Amino acid sequence: MAGAGRTDTRLVESETTETDAVAAVAVGLSAVLFALAVAALFGRVSLTGSLLGVQTVTLLGGLLTALGGTVIAFGVGSRFGYVETNPDPSAGLIAGFGAAVPWVVIGASVASQTLGLGAGVGVVAGVATGAVAFAATVLPREDLGSTVPLGALLGVTGLVFLTGAIGPTWVWELGWAQQAAITAEFLIPVSTLFSALYGGWASAKAYGGFGARGRHMGAYVLVYVNALSIVAFLFILVAFVVVQGIPGLLNGTEFGFGTGPTTSVFGVSVALPVSVPFLMNGVALFNDFQGVLPAIVGTVWLVVGAVVLAVPLGVGAALFLTEYAERGRFTQVVEVATNGLWSTPSIVFGLFGFAFLIPRFGNGKSLLSGMITLGFMLLPLVVITSREAMLSVPDEYRDASAALGVSKWQTIRSVVLPAALPGVVTGVILGVGRIAGETAPILLTMAGGTFVPGSQTADVIGGFQFTSAPPFVANPELLQATSALPYQLYALITAGVGASSNVGNADEFRWATALVLLVVVLSFYAIGIATRYYFRRRLRHT
Amino acid sequence: MAQVTDPRDGRIRSAVGEQVRRTKRFADETEPAALAILAVMALSLLGALVGFLAVSDWTIVPFAAFLASSAVGWVRYQEETAYLIALMMTVSTILILGLIVVFIFRESIPVIRYESATVYGITVPGLRMFIQPNWDAVSPPIRYSMVPMIHGTVMVTLIASAVAAPLGVSAALFLSEIAPATVREVVKPGVEILAGIPSIVYGFIGFTVLGPWASDQFQTTGQGSYLFVGIVVGLMALPTVVSVAEDALSSVPESMKSGSLAMGTTDWQTMTSITLPAAFSGVSAAVLLGVGRAIGETMAATVMLRGVPRLTEPLVNVFYGQETLTSIIARNYGEADGLQMDALFVAGVILFVTVLVISVGAQYIEWRMHKRLGGEI
Repeated sequence: MAGAGRTDTRLVESETTETDAVAAVAVGLSAVLFALAVAALFGRVSLTGSLLGVQTVTLLGGLLTALGGTVIAFGVGSRFGYVETNPDPSAGLIAGFGAAVPWVVIGASVASQTLGLGAGVGVVAGVATGAVAFAATVLPREDLGSTVPLGALLGVTGLVFLTGAIGPTWVWELGWAQQAAITAEFLIPVSTLFSALYGGWASAKAYGGFGARGRHMGAYVLVYVNALSIVAFLFILVAFVVVQGIPGLLNGTEFGFGTGPTTSVFGVSVALPVSVPFLMNGVALFNDFQGVLPAIVGTVWLVVGAVVLAVPLGVGAALFLTEYAERGRFTQVVEVATNGLWSTPSIVFGLFGFAFLIPRFGNGKSLLSGMITLGFMLLPLVVITSREAMLSVPDEYRDASAALGVSKWQTIRSVVLPAALPGVVTGVILGVGRIAGETAPILLTMAGGTFVPGSQTADVIGGFQFTSAPPFVANPELLQATSALPYQLYALITAGVGASSNVGNADEFRWATALVLLVVVLSFYAIGIATRYYFRRRLRHT
Repeated sequence: MAQVTDPRDGRIRSAVGEQVRRTKRFADETEPAALAILAVMALSLLGALVGFLAVSDWTIVPFAAFLASSAVGWVRYQEETAYLIALMMTVSTILILGLIVVFIFRESIPVIRYESATVYGITVPGLRMFIQPNWDAVSPPIRYSMVPMIHGTVMVTLIASAVAAPLGVSAALFLSEIAPATVREVVKPGVEILAGIPSIVYGFIGFTVLGPWASDQFQTTGQGSYLFVGIVVGLMALPTVVSVAEDALSSVPESMKSGSLAMGTTDWQTMTSITLPAAFSGVSAAVLLGVGRAIGETMAATVMLRGVPRLTEPLVNVFYGQETLTSIIARNYGEADGLQMDALFVAGVILFVTVLVISVGAQYIEWRMHKRLGGEI
């Protein structure tokens, strides 16, 4: 090859485009298999049925075998010089481990189950098979090493499906004390899924002509598939909740003047032009449509209370840490403490609220305890994000202000805080989104009742009273248990079947509650992310 | 020993001396009236704290005094008042952590005493919670063992880490090194939103959709398996891993990466041989924090598990899900009182300590990495 002339090179180039096409087809085939496996896993494609006139399992097996054959053919062709590639001397240890893992599983299960030799022999056989696969990957030149073991894996899987050794009705009883079995419905899609990933990896390497470029292609295919799956997962999740929740949410919705409940705005009573009973009613015996108004109001008050407590505390602490304190032991301790608070499990906050706050606020679950518990949870997040925002204010600003001869506090108030405001606001909004959906802390501190009547909607502002005995100010609204959306959903789930007697269709009611909760939380996130974009764009313009 | 401790002793003494000098200087430079108001603020807030801890109805009085003195201070000596208030707020964050420690430990003491066990003639408080696997709160002998819950938490965390670590690190690589700017602007908020979906919604979907499906697929009796709780919890821990690992990857200096690219390597070679090794400790801190999230995840586990505190048979049977440290608290707080409630607090203590150790460890790793990368440039 070293002495290859000009014409020779051109010939080789035209050849590579054809083989490129073969490798690209192999990548495409892997993508098809991946999609089929996911569809089969969620029952969108029936394993017992047929697809394109062929039995599904047979089709999967055929495709897998074809893919495996292509991959091996590519590698062998490259080794014997029919395909122009730039392979390295070895496929590398990581590829070796990657290929060894599925072979260990196959070797172990075949030896221990199919041949019935027992667990001990199975382990030995698995390790041996894995070692062979590892050696077959690492020892030969890269083009053989990264195709043959994986191609053989695909071929074996495909043949097992083709020959019907694992058919749609195959079951492996595990024989454990707590009964469990691995069925074909699970094994076939999952093994197809992993095989497709391995096939895609190997054929992407081949497409890149092995060597550094080939590995680059192979890795990028996997990384892109992963990123795409995460985004797809998010969309499916949200779409699923929306689709399930819409019927319950819009139950009995009416549009038109005077249909909605009457509210007073600045002393003038106005009838809303829309009525959504699910959002505007509580649960009552004589309601046509039941709703979750008390939970929504409870969530709003919870968020307000947590923000009122945590934001001043957090911003003040961040201010002290960035502007006043010198870096040293003290700031380090505070940093470790805030990060520790941030990762403390939410249920521990709940326990703390239960032990610390409840005895101090009337010995019962109360809205106030819930607010303070969630405020404690929000606090570290506010400290961390405000601190980042303040640290990102350039020191030139501070110096310029100090050069004018103003005091430190004036600099902070009129230079640092305004400049850090966007970051602080974004952080607070995202933090609020996080705590608004928290169930565990309010479970122990605030919430009670599965179905809350509309009359129990918390009216905090109207609840303040002055008393003659200490503590002189009282607010029974703050001191009684109420509901919030996440708790309501939890209570509905645990209430089980018995729930349906209270609300017409319990399932619809639950999904609608989940949808409302999701909308509330995600709208905080949407606002937070939008604020960040807005400020960033404005910063870029000026 | 004496020689070793002496210099440190001296350092502490000089640090304390420095603090005293600074305070004195502050006192000398500040007007007496301002000092008086600051003193009133500090003392009244302290009084309010003490009153609150002592469950006194009169707490409101010192608190009102604090508010009044702060108002006066704010109008007349804004500079000093702002400083003091900021300092107090900083102290309060440490105070909260301290209060959590004190209160959850204090509540768990009785059951630790009850569950004492004798080993080699020495009575070890709380040991019996870890050497036998029985949790029975109703019929004697009443035993509160943490073993089944620890087993459950370990199973769920292992599975969750197996899901979250590879997917999360790969997604972080994608976001920080591979994705074009426009794609990143879509995927990054997507990951953030994933973090925002409430755990109870995950749990609800797991309970209504995944649970029945899984029990069908694996032919188990009833629904609830560590396998699927682990997968769901792993997906919930994913955003934490992604965002922390992405921070670590993008903190690798650009000069290192471009130096490698200038040698003619592919992007992927640069990532595997420069970026990932340089950011390795940061990435492992990300995985650690993800593990911390998985350990503390409550609602999804509570809703999806069976709620029977016992070990699965055999121990590796991931197709059955009994109870974790978090879910036993969420499930039993309602009817529990006395010793059983205290036992729930023990579960809380185990969770709190484990996660705190993980968090501090991750911070130490991150700190070391920043120091090293900072030193190398």
